[in-house]
Amino acid sequence: MRLEIEKVSKRYRRGVLALETFSLELKPGVLGLLGPNGAGKTTLMSILATITKATDGRVLWNGADIARNPDVLRSVLGYLPQDFGVYPNLSAVEFLEYLAAVKGLDAATAARRIDELLELVNLTEVRKRPLGGYSGGMKQRVGIAQALLNDPQLLIVDEPTAGLDPEERVRFRNLLSDLSGERIVILSTHIVSDVEATATDIALIAKGSLVAHATPEALLLQVEGKVWEWVVSSADLNAAKQQFLISSTTRRSDGVHVRVLGDEAPANAKPVTPNLEDAYLYCLSEHRSAAQPGTRRGVKA
Amino acid sequence: MSRSRALYHMVRADFLERVRRYSFLLTLAFSVYLGYAVNSGQVTLRLGAYRGVDNSAWLGSVIGLVATVWLTLVGFYVVKNSIQRDRQTRVGQVLAATPMSKSFYALGKALSNFAVLAAMVLVLALAALVIQLSHGADSHIDLFALLAPALILGLSAVAVTAALAVLFESLPALRGGVGNIFYFFLWTFLLTESVGGVIGSGAASSLQTFKDYSGITSVMGQMRAQLQQFDPQYGDGASFGFGNASTSTKTFLWTGVKWSSTLVFSRGLWLGIAVGVALLAALFFDRFDPARDGLGIRRKQRPVASSKSLGGSPGLPSFDAQPAQRSVAHLVPVSHTGSRTRFFALVLAELRLMLRSHAWWWYVVAAGLIIACLASPLDVARSGILVAAWLWPALIWSQMGTREAQFSTGPLIFSAPHAVRRQLLACYSAGVLVAALTGGGVALHLLFARDIAGLGAWATGALFIPALALALGVTTGSRKFFEALYTAWWYVGPLHHIPRADFMGTTAASSTPVGYLAAALLLVLLAYAWRTVRLANA
Repeated sequence: MRLEIEKVSKRYRRGVLALETFSLELKPGVLGLLGPNGAGKTTLMSILATITKATDGRVLWNGADIARNPDVLRSVLGYLPQDFGVYPNLSAVEFLEYLAAVKGLDAATAARRIDELLELVNLTEVRKRPLGGYSGGMKQRVGIAQALLNDPQLLIVDEPTAGLDPEERVRFRNLLSDLSGERIVILSTHIVSDVEATATDIALIAKGSLVAHATPEALLLQVEGKVWEWVVSSADLNAAKQQFLISSTTRRSDGVHVRVLGDEAPANAKPVTPNLEDAYLYCLSEHRSAAQPGTRRGVKA
Repeated sequence: MSRSRALYHMVRADFLERVRRYSFLLTLAFSVYLGYAVNSGQVTLRLGAYRGVDNSAWLGSVIGLVATVWLTLVGFYVVKNSIQRDRQTRVGQVLAATPMSKSFYALGKALSNFAVLAAMVLVLALAALVIQLSHGADSHIDLFALLAPALILGLSAVAVTAALAVLFESLPALRGGVGNIFYFFLWTFLLTESVGGVIGSGAASSLQTFKDYSGITSVMGQMRAQLQQFDPQYGDGASFGFGNASTSTKTFLWTGVKWSSTLVFSRGLWLGIAVGVALLAALFFDRFDPARDGLGIRRKQRPVASSKSLGGSPGLPSFDAQPAQRSVAHLVPVSHTGSRTRFFALVLAELRLMLRSHAWWWYVVAAGLIIACLASPLDVARSGILVAAWLWPALIWSQMGTREAQFSTGPLIFSAPHAVRRQLLACYSAGVLVAALTGGGVALHLLFARDIAGLGAWATGALFIPALALALGVTTGSRKFFEALYTAWWYVGPLHHIPRADFMGTTAASSTPVGYLAAALLLVLLAYAWRTVRLANA
């Protein structure tokens, strides 16, 4: 089971370049695709889900080009788009039955699978109510169920935790972890904690380009010794923000505890253990510096 | 002052949003086509054997009547989406949270609709100028005589259309397909009332002038009076519409519409009616209240939740409220190697999806029509009841090819294997099944009577109607084009058994099955090709 993305570019009609010579090779596990808004994550997901085609480059599923032969991938694909709709007059069961038919599942398999999935996403109790009355979180769970209908080998989930409350998010992360194993799961998000909890690999994307592809441990290693905690007064906070790359701030009785990323420590700052959010911000900052020399904010000006 | 500024910006924003869409060019193209139809003689105004000399007065009057008659029909379907767009883009919820009143919003939407329709009228008015410059018999341009009918009659008529579109969008019952079909009959009624003075004899009375929504009675009444002075032998024959001009062999000099105070006042009255209709719409406008969104969800069923999350809703299942009995490890694997195409299951799923959104009484009427077909003599069933039986499911067919765009389910469906071919053909097959079921009584009659030719015509109708719905749905992404075109075609063709236009084959004389069979095939191929190309270039 292998998914290869080879020098993929996507240019939209109005000339916007959403992806630029993007390459990546994936094997079973959970890939966390991280990037800021507008980085090209959804475009990449749409190409991998055969919804749109790359302008250049190709995507291979077990060696087969999915632009030429999309059905090779579609029969083993589960896709939860960022924005999707439901038919409001159908119940969850009827909607899933319809999509199972579209995906080519036989009636017996579909019936069994739908029962199991509704139980998995805890919608059994409301399975016969029209989807038009469901909340955003419940519709998202119907989306998760439909993505798993055909027991996919490639599962693509685009911003899946948007609209879920904290409890539901935790549950969904656990579900994703359980689903990995003998399948490739691609989780696209800009919420670092979602990736931190589930991903076996991380790809960072910015302005349509691959910034980094590594294990979470390798990414964390990159910022080892470059994260500092520094206490400043409220009055000095704005000046600190101008001088340093700051990943978080916490107000306490002794002042504002600022988490600073940089090769050199500010005066009186203590080194702290980095987390994935630090690594993400650091990598993006490094990428911006490389693209536009002179813009780096990781050290004192 | 600030209110008028707010109104201006509301109308401006709505107008710009529309004119920057590709579909607006198609709208203007329709106006250009109407101008071309007048120029090429496809649309004619005749008074017995007479037509006017091609001067500014005659061309301006013809174009003015084209604007009032045709733009009031087609224009309605063009602009009946302004509130829906605010609902879909969720801009409406932002507006609802402002101090804006409902009447202010309804008036703004009516004005925005009017601006779009006025652009269409202006294009037509310019067409009159181009026609006269290109080959008018009289090279003298009288701008007032040329443009006044379109601007005075046309703009006041489309103002009513603009306001009616807002009213229909504000009434939940008329917001969808029912409204699209109902408007055709309302337009027919208004036009019939308007034309009443032409059918009668003599000049239009004041009452007729005020009832004259399109201005056709006023204009043609004056024309007839002038022609009678020119040729006392002229009777009272008059016609206006799509037809062959070759039967008009004589010409007379038409000097133009006399804008009497009664006529001008009547147009002002219709403008006032337009404002009244817009204000009436405000009474029914739901101000984007999601509890009154009129999605067609059966309200008797208890809504599951009103909030985004269910975390705090007692008694309702959240993702983690209680540990799910089943975990991923317990899911039974699905075999991918044995996956076969199960087309018939998909057809049934499509059929169920089509029929699901209707209330019980819809099925009662459909069943009644089937029984009536079976119980009636064959000629009555074929020429009468079948016509009704195949109008009844129009709102089912109009869903075809549009659901994926309407409900944003495209990404879920089109990422499935063989989705375009299988789903499209399954959808078409389900549409044919609906036709076969609702018109089944006549088919059985024809079968028992061994009327093979009749059965062939019936089958062609059953194949053609869903093909038309599918092709229009896939290409336009909207239900209303099929609903409008089908209703108008149904009225002209099957209802009046007009040869060539009768796609249902309601009589042996009006039936032309071979052409419609070929058209059905072409329409299905068009839908398939269109969707394939659209998805390939997404």
